Amino acid sequence: MSTQRNPPPPTLPNCGTGIGLRLPHAAEIAAVRPRLAFLEVHAENYMAETVALEWLLELRRDYPVSIHGVASSLGGAEELDRIHLGRFKALIEQVEPMLVSEHLAWSAVGGAYLNDLLPLPYTEESLDLFSRHVTEAQEALGRPLLIENPSSYLRFRHSTIPEDEFLAETARRTSCGILCDINNIYVSARNFAFDPIAYLDALPAEAIGEIHLAGHHVADDTDILIDDHGSRIAQPVWELHAAALRRFGLVPTLIEWDTNLPPLNVLLGEARHAQELADVHQCAGAA
Amino acid sequence: MSTNVPALLELQLQLRQALLGGNASELVAAIRGDGLAPSARLAIYRHHAVATLSAVLKGTFPVVCRLVDERFFAYAAHEYLREHPPHSRCIVEYGADFADFLAGFEPCKGLPYLPDVARFEWALNASATVREVVPLPISALEAITSEKAGHLKLRLQPSVSYFASYWPIGAIWQANQENEVPKVDLASGGTRVEFRRAGDAVAWRGLDPGTFAFRAALADGLVLSVAAAAATEKDPAFDIAAALERVFAVGLAVAFTESRTGTVGP
Repeated sequence: MSTQRNPPPPTLPNCGTGIGLRLPHAAEIAAVRPRLAFLEVHAENYMAETVALEWLLELRRDYPVSIHGVASSLGGAEELDRIHLGRFKALIEQVEPMLVSEHLAWSAVGGAYLNDLLPLPYTEESLDLFSRHVTEAQEALGRPLLIENPSSYLRFRHSTIPEDEFLAETARRTSCGILCDINNIYVSARNFAFDPIAYLDALPAEAIGEIHLAGHHVADDTDILIDDHGSRIAQPVWELHAAALRRFGLVPTLIEWDTNLPPLNVLLGEARHAQELADVHQCAGAA
Repeated sequence: MSTNVPALLELQLQLRQALLGGNASELVAAIRGDGLAPSARLAIYRHHAVATLSAVLKGTFPVVCRLVDERFFAYAAHEYLREHPPHSRCIVEYGADFADFLAGFEPCKGLPYLPDVARFEWALNASATVREVVPLPISALEAITSEKAGHLKLRLQPSVSYFASYWPIGAIWQANQENEVPKVDLASGGTRVEFRRAGDAVAWRGLDPGTFAFRAALADGLVLSVAAAAATEKDPAFDIAAALERVFAVGLAVAFTESRTGTVGP
């Protein structure tokens, strides 16, 4: 195995638009080198010496990389999985990402990993626990984290803190940043009939380190919206994104697409649209 | 630690149970309706867990799925994930013991070769995802005296693995790559194959009994003299020198250890 150190990643003034890197697109991205501000990957897909990692190490020479953890289970009631965090840290050291993020959620208990971002009751107790885990994870990874707001389909009766406040307070206590997923806010706001603009307003603007945009669909026999990262970004989500730009200013923005993966061009088209919105915002600000 | 943490743990254990098909009555009482039955809200999460984990299994074991049909596979996958939810946070590592599960799964008893098809697909998938490393040239062995040669241990490419079965699994797998599955004679003999990533694809190929025994022993970390004995037991005419040369010629060896002297090579 080569012990040669990777070249440092390129540095860009990075408030542009990126896309999620999925293995079926890797060869085309390497060949075409589309203009993108960054690529984002799910940490857990790159924790072994795999072909996927080989692609990532090649592409990181030309693109800044954001690493998005989906399985650290920071909201889990048990202690954090130190083996998992060790693998996460090893990946960070290899890739030297521009951003590292995780979720306001839990996904493992009693030795079982449930492959989903599961909801927490928002109580003082879970706020203490979650904040402690964010701090522990930041220490273990040696990096500040961005924490993403989840999409949700159920709420617990004993929740006492609104999610936006829970996230803002986590950022205050742990100095973590916030990854603001606009689609998740829209989905949860529709599912629970709250005002998405008020949610944006409750987040501390200075903590926002990244924005996610993705698609959703309506569940078959209910009018529940499901965040599936499997379609184009819906018009109301673009509108909410424009509101987020006005509130937070320019931040790195990601087009997420994980299921029903379309040709790369479709993702690049969505990224171009996001970039146009950012440009319009910037011009409006300069005028 | 806060006194309410056990309450959160209890809630999470209940949700785990509900997602994996168990009783959800206590949990349902903790969920707000918000205009929809709490059980329907829970079903969204249950559906996601079952659908995504089943899809992972189907992606790794497509020939098993084809042999038993989609509906039966979905049933078997559901039973498996209830009893064996993933432990690793890396979901590509899920399914390592699916073959063992199938071996003990009563409704599959009529297809005795099915667990070995699953083992074959697991090995194929593992080889496909692992990176190859720079091979060692045979010249690296020049300094080894012939007395010491028998004590050498070779390390093979990380993507390489060996698989043997009483059943013609290679033929079954190959037949199921076609639209119209040709008949496979189950009595046509066993399988001895080598899996290896080659370029951007993964390849498997049948090996003669001597070569299989030799390489599989090396892959198990046995010293050269023991691997040679295993090969000649299967094939008394086995040419050890030629076989060793071939291992290097095809880039299988990546490092070696000389007994009691540590690893040599890159």
